[in-house]
Amino acid sequence: MSLTAFYALAAFTLVFAVFAVTTANMVRAAFSLAITFFLIAGLYLLLGSPALAAIQFMVNASAIPIMTLFIIMMTRSRSSGAPRTWQIAAGLLAAAAALVFFKGAVGHHDGQINPVSPELLGSNLLQAALLPFEVASVLLLLAMVGAIALARRRSG
Amino acid sequence: MVTLGHFLLFSGLLMAVGLYGVLTRRNLIAVLMSVEILLNAAALAFASAAAFREPHLFAGQIFALFIIVVAAAELSIGFAILLNVYRTHGAVTDDAISEMRG
Repeated sequence: MSLTAFYALAAFTLVFAVFAVTTANMVRAAFSLAITFFLIAGLYLLLGSPALAAIQFMVNASAIPIMTLFIIMMTRSRSSGAPRTWQIAAGLLAAAAALVFFKGAVGHHDGQINPVSPELLGSNLLQAALLPFEVASVLLLLAMVGAIALARRRSG
Repeated sequence: MVTLGHFLLFSGLLMAVGLYGVLTRRNLIAVLMSVEILLNAAALAFASAAAFREPHLFAGQIFALFIIVVAAAELSIGFAILLNVYRTHGAVTDDAISEMRG
């Protein structure tokens, strides 16, 4: 049952990801990216970590596509030009190289999923991983202030 | 039964798709979207490795969480820079910012 769910989620995710990186229409690419991330949230549920699934749904499947759509409209870039021939060759080569690196992944046969409850993950985040957690919050604050400062219209 | 190999292989495939997008896209916004796919593949690999092995401090899930945080920060700064590129160059394609070509 979980194998069927995995194959269905994985196949649809890959189809939408390929569509997101190949379609010339940027708006369609952004929506396709949102669906890709939404399906990855389903994969996180399958992995037994509902906290990660919720974060993936809220941040990657909702906030980031909205931001992407805004920036597509603001820069009037409705379409992405067709790639050059050497770019396609380099892209296929890099994809093949990545798959060669992941060839050894097939050998892992561990089948026992250890689910993680959001309570355990949260208390661990605030005990063992407290310093990186605080650094991440400062990073987000810096990113927000930096984005506002960079995107502000200069006067005069 | 779904195993760790399934998830890792899927992460590899997703990473290959993202790499292809980074190298072939002409619009810089689309390049950043492909980078997002790459980062998500990495986060999924971390989370799946953590879920199938004996959890030690849930390090894999916490890594995935921080990858999502860094991805959000990177994307917002990247989009702000692209907005400035659009104001100064009139477009956000790779052709528009080729002054440094020798």
